[in-house]
Amino acid sequence: MRTLFIVFTALCSVSCEWAADSLSFTREEIPVYREKAASPEPTANPTRLKVMAWNVKYGACRIDFWFDFWGDRTQMTTQEVEGCLTKISELIEQYNPDILMTEEIEVDSRRSAYIDMVRFILEHTPLRYAAYGETWNTRYAPSEGVGRVNLGNAVFSRYPIVKAERIRQEDRTDQSALVKTFYIHRTVTRAELDLGNARHVAAYVVHTEAYDNDGTKQKQIKQIHGLMTGETLPFVIGGDFNELPPLCDEKAAAGTADSCEGKMHLKGFLDERASSVGTDYAQPPYTPSVMKPFFDEFTPSIELARYGNTPDSQQMYFTHSVLGPDGTNDEGVKGNWNRTLDYLFVQKNQSWEAGSTDVIQGPGRLGITADVLRLSDHAPTAGTWVLP
Amino acid sequence: MNALLFVLTLATAQTGDAASAADVASTPAAVASPGAWPRPARDTADVGPKGRWSTGFFNPTRYALTDGFELEANPLLIPVAPNLTGRFAILKKELRLTAEAGLLVPTFGMRLMKGYFFPTWATSTENIGWMLVPRVGLLLSGTVREHDVWTVRGDFTFRIPLGPNSATPLESFIAPLDLLFAAPTTGYLARVGGAYDAALGNWFRVRGEVNVYLSGPTPHLFVGGEDKGQLSPRSPLYVTGHVGVDIATFKHSRVTVGVLWANYDQGAKAVVRDADGFADRVPVRSNNILPTLDYIWSGGFGD
Repeated sequence: MRTLFIVFTALCSVSCEWAADSLSFTREEIPVYREKAASPEPTANPTRLKVMAWNVKYGACRIDFWFDFWGDRTQMTTQEVEGCLTKISELIEQYNPDILMTEEIEVDSRRSAYIDMVRFILEHTPLRYAAYGETWNTRYAPSEGVGRVNLGNAVFSRYPIVKAERIRQEDRTDQSALVKTFYIHRTVTRAELDLGNARHVAAYVVHTEAYDNDGTKQKQIKQIHGLMTGETLPFVIGGDFNELPPLCDEKAAAGTADSCEGKMHLKGFLDERASSVGTDYAQPPYTPSVMKPFFDEFTPSIELARYGNTPDSQQMYFTHSVLGPDGTNDEGVKGNWNRTLDYLFVQKNQSWEAGSTDVIQGPGRLGITADVLRLSDHAPTAGTWVLP
Repeated sequence: MNALLFVLTLATAQTGDAASAADVASTPAAVASPGAWPRPARDTADVGPKGRWSTGFFNPTRYALTDGFELEANPLLIPVAPNLTGRFAILKKELRLTAEAGLLVPTFGMRLMKGYFFPTWATSTENIGWMLVPRVGLLLSGTVREHDVWTVRGDFTFRIPLGPNSATPLESFIAPLDLLFAAPTTGYLARVGGAYDAALGNWFRVRGEVNVYLSGPTPHLFVGGEDKGQLSPRSPLYVTGHVGVDIATFKHSRVTVGVLWANYDQGAKAVVRDADGFADRVPVRSNNILPTLDYIWSGGFGD
């Protein structure tokens, strides 16, 4: 029996995993990946850095998955994922960022054909280093046959990443213990980049909760704000905050100056399918006021003034649509970008190069030629950070 | 809940990884009290004698219709996955050779698992197709040391589709489930294996078993009838080992407890670092260790 135990222990040391990783840490270092291909060295002693943040929807492009309610896919073929990642990489290469923050990137998930997307992007773009922070690592999610999932956020850089870590965010409290075990645990990924001459900057990538009804997302956003406030290096932060811009206060009474009425849609987006209501994937109410401290205390790539005060004026900075351009909603309206959830910020005393910031919604924006609406359910947001 | 029961039952009953059935070896027949004789070895090539039966909570029921032919089925599964196997004794001497031929119709049971282990396909007409899953096999057993029995076996399970099928391999971390659904989702599952079942006095038996399985190739994904290409290929090779102890209870029954180890490709990757400290992800085969437990009754000893 003792021999048996030793044999099993030895076998387990080769590859035994927990059913799901609870991500039991507050803050921990994570590995750094380096490209195998040899991309050109970046500019020495840069004064500016091109930055892009993009939720890449696990390399699915516009394949509709079951929790979106417009389709019922649960997995993709290698051919489909590689085809999508190739287009995503082409866009990245065309914009040619020095720093790329990605959310919903996967390295070992059944639904995305177990493709290591971090490695794929490293080998197919000029980006040379990456820090990948897992947010969801489960051997088998017993829901719709989803199976193995390893999803997270990543910071890619042309400059060496000298330190990488992930910071745990609060979990939802409105789920059963069983669901919670196999569910995503949000983290913030932080990478420290060496620009040369002992100049270091920090890059953060975030992706907050999308479906909670217990205020988890708001807590996570406040925690992120706290992290930024405590950062000692010059930093850039980007990602999918799952929250609308603070153009109004959702709590303000109708008719008051801060009211959202007529100023910005808070619900009823064209891509919300009626059948999602009442499910675990229904869109909870947005609370844009929680984003106000970010716009007040940091420098956004798109200032509030640029959004304007009407849904029409905000349209050109929308970053998200569950429904793609080849689908129509139940009223027959074609899918299109319909709300802003993704942002880039740098410190208050820093700036973005004039005319360099935009949401790359489609061809012609920041010189991009790709049909971006077909590459993900989020549009990249990008700009050139003027270094201090 | 039904789906869960189905999974647990199938996981332990149908793969042969858990202790599986049948107190029907031709070792001493009448047993006066627990421990008077060793319990017969289980899951061997032995068939009959006529009237001998056995059943467990999870193990299938066997009943010998004649001295050389018995039927095996899992009654718990029959409402959701009709199944029946015939066991035919070809040779009943010092060496025993038995042929098995069985049939499983898993579709309804698999459909009960939609939403958990298979997609619901709420917005399309994709579904788990109707199919027949026959199995043919051969077992050869011999006796050593009076009450010890060795067995080698080979079998082949394959799918006969009766229509379009959108179910894809489970790729879970529960090896018996993956093996159970290997033939329905990849087309076939072949197995070769061997077991040694030793009597330890009159009260205990220890059984060790090793199996090597080869499944069909990873299938293509069809959506709305359109071939989207092959799903990410997995190694078709599965290796399992099972060690269990049977403890005699009452007159002809026993408790069986054991541990199943399985090694196969679940799509896992491990992070390794190069000389400069940079990371990479490399594919690894996964190991599973699962407990097995059942209570098995038997009868037809003529007492």
